[in-house]
Amino acid sequence: MMTPKLYLAYGLAVIGMMGYAQYAGWSMARVNAAKVVPRSIRDNPGSYRSVYSPYQHYTGGK
Amino acid sequence: MVLSGPKKEIPATAVRSITCPGCGGSVTIRSFGKAVNVVCGSCHSVLDAQDPQVKILQKFKDAIRHDPLLPLGSRGKIRGVVYETIGFQHRQIEADGQIYGWGEYLLFNPYQGFRYMTEFDGHWNFVAPLRSLPQAQAPGTESDRYYLNERYKHFQTAVAKTTFVLGEFPWQVRVGETVEVTDYVCPPRVLSAEVSADKEINWSLGEYMTGADVWKAFGLKDAPPAAAGVYENQPSPFGGQPRKTWKYCFILLALATAVWIYNAGMADNKQVFTESYVFDPAASEAAFVTSTFNLDGPDANVKIETMAAIDNKWIYLNYALVNEESGTAYDFGREVSYYHGYDDGESWSEGSSRDSVTLPKIPSGKYFLRIEPEGDSKLGRINYSVTVIHDVPNSLWFLIAAPLILVPAIFSTWRSISFEHRRWQESDHATSSSSSASSSDGDDSDDDS
Repeated sequence: MMTPKLYLAYGLAVIGMMGYAQYAGWSMARVNAAKVVPRSIRDNPGSYRSVYSPYQHYTGGK
Repeated sequence: MVLSGPKKEIPATAVRSITCPGCGGSVTIRSFGKAVNVVCGSCHSVLDAQDPQVKILQKFKDAIRHDPLLPLGSRGKIRGVVYETIGFQHRQIEADGQIYGWGEYLLFNPYQGFRYMTEFDGHWNFVAPLRSLPQAQAPGTESDRYYLNERYKHFQTAVAKTTFVLGEFPWQVRVGETVEVTDYVCPPRVLSAEVSADKEINWSLGEYMTGADVWKAFGLKDAPPAAAGVYENQPSPFGGQPRKTWKYCFILLALATAVWIYNAGMADNKQVFTESYVFDPAASEAAFVTSTFNLDGPDANVKIETMAAIDNKWIYLNYALVNEESGTAYDFGREVSYYHGYDDGESWSEGSSRDSVTLPKIPSGKYFLRIEPEGDSKLGRINYSVTVIHDVPNSLWFLIAAPLILVPAIFSTWRSISFEHRRWQESDHATSSSSSASSSDGDDSDDDS
């Protein structure tokens, strides 16, 4: 059973997390970060292999 | 339960013994000359305690005997006063075709007089006779009563029958006698009116006690019987919690909204790049890089918007946001698809020609995008545009936080309401569908007070 004081503490923790997530720019986007790519990517963009290349495409429609 | 009151020690009781004319057993009388009837502990005959010849008033015939949970002669300290258990009677009512029985203990203190302790399904009440009459809104009815500025709601009216007696009583007691009992509740108290056959009304006020409180007061060993269900004047364990919880809930929601608005207002929300492209699936190499753009200021999120001129088509874009100076890349893929049609007499559509994704906390610096589009070569060329916005307001976390704040408040209120429903299911005011189904098990079905 959550007492009102415990609920208040819980709510403040939720708001703290929300505020920090918003401030820090957290996102639920699926991103593969911090991969160091070769500088030659500018000259040969096709040489870079994205981790999302083998994506199984949805072709849509009923 | 905190019990308070004047503290007086009980003096050494002058105990008198008489011999039961029915069985010859010895019968103890503890309430001095106040006992009117006394019941033999051996043969359970009701005797006239004020008759020197100790006449038998009633012989016990029933097969069922009830053992008192508080032994006769046991002493307990309640509200600072020591009482001795001198009598016990078992009474019962019939409601909705079911028999409900409870025990009533007669307590005696030479200074305070008589008090009562009642027990039903492990729920206890310390009961004292009233010295003033409760007020009624409409005299002669079962409407709510007012006593000492408190409102007592009518709970139940039933005919109570005495089925077993033991010990001594300051009134004429008989097995089989009936009284009409009406209870009015204001937890943790209950007002009771007993109307006898000759229309004499006795009012009493009971206060709820747990079995543990009673056992502690009487110094009994073992554990008291577990309380079952919710009793008519049992105090709610939730008390005023819902009201306080909702007060905090509104404060927290206001605070969360303020934090959300503040962070949204502080966001730069600056478009740093936009460009239009044409994807030709027939081309040999689709991958390319964009011109560079700056992400200035503190680390912040980055929103990538894609708009494609598609109609029953799809396009998939492999993105990499690359920091030109450090070489750090943020890979992600986005599909943009939009389909619509008309089937079986109704139109349908799914997907959208517009897509956006927000990347978390990207360090400031000079960036470019590496884009590799993919698509069905049969679907032809596709025009699309890419826009990059730095430091965008994000409502996602507020939309997650608000329900997290609301859910405990809603749950707390639901539990409190459920407890009250269970209490009133046992009353005369329960809904007919739930009262019969839950009369013995005290479940959570829906009814209203």
